[in-house]
Amino acid sequence: MDASALQKQALDEIAAAGTLGALDDARVKFLGRKSELKLALRDVRDRETGMALNAVREAVEQAVEAKQAELERAELDRTIAEDRVDVTMPGVRHRRGHLHLVTQVRREVEDIFVGMGYDVLDGREVETTRYLFDALNMSPNHPTRSPLHTFYVGEDAVLRSETSPSQIHAMESKPPPIYVVSLGRCYRRDTPDTTHYPIFHQVEGLVVDRGITLADLKGTLRTLLRQLFGAERDAKFVTHFFPFTEPSVEVLVSCFQCNGAGCPMCRHSGWIEIGGSGMVDPNVLRFVGYDPEEVSGFAFGWGLERMAILRHGLPDIRDLWADDLRFLRQF
Amino acid sequence: MRVPLSWLREYANPSASATEIAERLSISTCEVERVVRRGVPDTDGNLGRFRVGRVLSAEKHPNADRLQLCVVDVGGAQQQIVCGAWNFSAGATVAVALPGATLPNGLTLESRKLRGELSEGMILAEDEVDLGSDHDGIMLLDPSLAPGTPLADVLPLVEDVLDVETTPNRPDLLSIYGLAREVAALFDVALAPWPGVEPPKTGDEEIPIQVDDPDGCPRFVGRLFRDVALAPSPVWLKARITAAGMRPISNVVDITNYVMLALGSPLHAYDYTTLAGGRIVVRRAHEGETIRTLDGQDRKLVPADLLIADAERAIGIAGIMGGEETEVADTTTTVLLETANFEPVTIMHSSERLGLRSEASNRWEKGVDPHGAGHAARLASQLLAELAGGRWVGENDVQAALPEPARIELRPAHTSELLGLDVTADEQRAILGSLGFGVDGDTVTVPSWRARDVTREADLIEEVARFELDAVPFTLPARREAVGRLTRSQQLRRTVEDVLVGCGLCEAYTPSLVDRDPDTDALRLRLPLSNDQSVLRTTLLPSLLAAAERNRDVGNDDVALFEIARVYLPSGAPLPTERWRVAGVVEGGYADAKGVVDALLATLGAPLAVERGSHPLFHPGKTGVLPQGWVGEVHPAVATGWAAFELDLAELDASRPQRVLYEDVISFPSVLQDLAFVVADDVAAADLVAAMREAAGPELRDVAVFDEYRSEQIGAGKRSLAFRVAFGSPERTLTDADATALRERIVTALAARFGAELRA
Repeated sequence: MDASALQKQALDEIAAAGTLGALDDARVKFLGRKSELKLALRDVRDRETGMALNAVREAVEQAVEAKQAELERAELDRTIAEDRVDVTMPGVRHRRGHLHLVTQVRREVEDIFVGMGYDVLDGREVETTRYLFDALNMSPNHPTRSPLHTFYVGEDAVLRSETSPSQIHAMESKPPPIYVVSLGRCYRRDTPDTTHYPIFHQVEGLVVDRGITLADLKGTLRTLLRQLFGAERDAKFVTHFFPFTEPSVEVLVSCFQCNGAGCPMCRHSGWIEIGGSGMVDPNVLRFVGYDPEEVSGFAFGWGLERMAILRHGLPDIRDLWADDLRFLRQF
Repeated sequence: MRVPLSWLREYANPSASATEIAERLSISTCEVERVVRRGVPDTDGNLGRFRVGRVLSAEKHPNADRLQLCVVDVGGAQQQIVCGAWNFSAGATVAVALPGATLPNGLTLESRKLRGELSEGMILAEDEVDLGSDHDGIMLLDPSLAPGTPLADVLPLVEDVLDVETTPNRPDLLSIYGLAREVAALFDVALAPWPGVEPPKTGDEEIPIQVDDPDGCPRFVGRLFRDVALAPSPVWLKARITAAGMRPISNVVDITNYVMLALGSPLHAYDYTTLAGGRIVVRRAHEGETIRTLDGQDRKLVPADLLIADAERAIGIAGIMGGEETEVADTTTTVLLETANFEPVTIMHSSERLGLRSEASNRWEKGVDPHGAGHAARLASQLLAELAGGRWVGENDVQAALPEPARIELRPAHTSELLGLDVTADEQRAILGSLGFGVDGDTVTVPSWRARDVTREADLIEEVARFELDAVPFTLPARREAVGRLTRSQQLRRTVEDVLVGCGLCEAYTPSLVDRDPDTDALRLRLPLSNDQSVLRTTLLPSLLAAAERNRDVGNDDVALFEIARVYLPSGAPLPTERWRVAGVVEGGYADAKGVVDALLATLGAPLAVERGSHPLFHPGKTGVLPQGWVGEVHPAVATGWAAFELDLAELDASRPQRVLYEDVISFPSVLQDLAFVVADDVAAADLVAAMREAAGPELRDVAVFDEYRSEQIGAGKRSLAFRVAFGSPERTLTDADATALRERIVTALAARFGAELRA
């Protein structure tokens, strides 16, 4: 038997098989039990012939396998050629929820500060006047103490009008350094309108450490503004007054609507007020037992709603409390 | 406060524009909300069309009884002008707007015929050029002015007004002179001396002044003026106070307002002849005492109110408003001028209680410099003499010991350290000096007008800081050992939020203050803004359910809301116990809410242990209680078609594992079997599961209900529950025999405890 001639003939016929049936016929013909090759293999007596015939068998088997794969793939291609969908149709619907816009801003602010090494505090919302007023260096006659400005639920129990009391608790609980932000609900007796709601959210930051400077305050808050409103933003600091900081400064961000050219959003000034800040008043440090000769610090307190309103162009703060799904699903 | 710039420039005049002054003040002193240009538009030579004119003739208009026909010399030209005013005649010096002139109200004048006579321009009344509010007649100018003189040289036709918002610690800035002091310091120009020159004192009449309450009134200066002629103020004075936002009334009243605006120390003028006994008593009010104030209102007083009284009655609420009966009137010729000093807290409380705020109270309640009374008396006296012909005939200055100026040591190096900017000692001293502080080496003396605000070194540092604010660099703290991260409970809140959002719920924010709460002990606000928000809630569910209903009412589909917020549980102590809660409301029945709770607890790895329970908002047969809270179908009497849950986050946190320990669930695969039992309806699925676990032990890896079935064949009051169980061991592959044995233990236990029959 001419092994190489047999191989050539087998490979040619396998290659020529146009259907799986034809290929199976070829397989039976060349590899079947009664095929010339199998019969010859059975009769092999010497090693050399055996090796040669086995080589032919392997080659033929491989060719059959390869051809089989090729024909099956061609068959599959044929069957799915007409099988198509409108890819623009909607997918199977999964109900999808949304985080409230203020939560989204809160998380962003938290992450920025955690990234800078700050801890996040959750203070009480119902506080004593000692922590809301006395500890914050507010004089006994400070207008904020009036029940017309702050909600009282008892003689000395108030709804916090800012998150600052949690910072006093933080300082009382441990020695410096302190790097914390406190976020949460605050309450002021403001009649609701487009920019006021009696309940709002504040983020307050507090740093107390050796050698903290006004320059650190400026740098930190500019970093926050750039993270929130874009790397190309500028920060401006103007003098202000708060009882618990000295000096006190108000922070403005260059208008991200008009880039300083002047537009209704920045009231044509090119700058948008963001919130208050300042160097922690020595009286506040002393109140918690820190030594103002040893450490200094800065603090700031801004409204989360205001950040959301500014960044997303909301016309009315009350939208954030209306809980209308058409609004909530926008964000 | 509105600051006419020409007035400010009288005291400090840097070569800087209004915008530059505003910008510098904004950074270092106080907010300048805007700069408003008021008056005649200064464009296209418009100002040049306003001239001084001399009336050459003035006669009745031939065709109109109420009009005058005038010929006016406007400098090199004679114009015929029809005028409706009659307070002048030939020879008067007047203000004229020529044809083409645009008035502040936007009207542009044209030559036109009025009742048949040509009118070439307009003779101006003060209100037409924003210099006052009077429209009874035209302005009469100084007769020495030459016709044709540009009117802008004579009158402030254009005025830039700074609208400033000052902080409560700086009452000294509620005055033009105080702001000028800042401008002088910021631009390094000279500050004019205190305005005002004492007029000659022509008498020495005694004015009895008795201050019963020197704490409330540390100083009271009374000055008496005779031969005062009440009249309208001159145009320049009207123009200034009009531009500053006040209304001109009469020369005497205008002078008191002018001096208050100029110097920040409020004044009051009384018609002296109306004072019973011709005396002043400063005292607290008697119980039940009343006064009719200048605004015509009858006010009830309480003993905390500080009063100015005469021998018999109250004639003014100190620092807030004078009384109607003693105010100056057209007939007044003898004026008692009050320049006093009042203690802020008294004024603040009275003003708040009476709901009566005035320009004066706004200043007093922030604390006015007691030395300011003297400056104010001097300037007011000068003006009363010059503008109202008043003769100064007596003075009584009753004062307690005024506070000594504070001395503070400045450490310039400390200032630089705190600022993060090197400011030399000389620079620091120069800044303080320019603001009126006494500087002797590093010892700084605080000026009287800053005495309340500046008491410590920190306050001096602030003075330097605000001047150098722009120069302070941007740095970040040099960190030592602070490491930031969210706490476990903060991370839990985020996880809960994310799971619920994944379950298709939208996050809502509902008010913590509600109209009523199921807990009758819930904390109430003492002075709520409205009844709707008067109680601190002890549960989130009612507010969230209301939000869900609102959404359904407006036609929103697929309503599913959640909220994470505090509740405030009455504790018996003054402060409530605050707990974080998560609540959710979804459309549908019990299983819809339960599915969300299942997903949440499964994510947290917390065991699910629900039992039948009750909750006032929920259907009595469809309420589950679990250690972390409640889940249920909303009671149909409350609202239909909703299911909800409320869970306590601290309990959720406590019920999840501190850390998850590895268990080999891969090497030895589980054997899965389905088992269906028929049980009485009142047997809870969870009880069956618990019994199965107890019977099979740890080799029951997992068990879950996958079907519930009722039929006649099974029988009334019964149901079939199908469970998929997974048997497995971390040590070996279980054999069929192992699985059969486990199954038998389960079947036997359920039969014994619940009469459960295994279905074939």
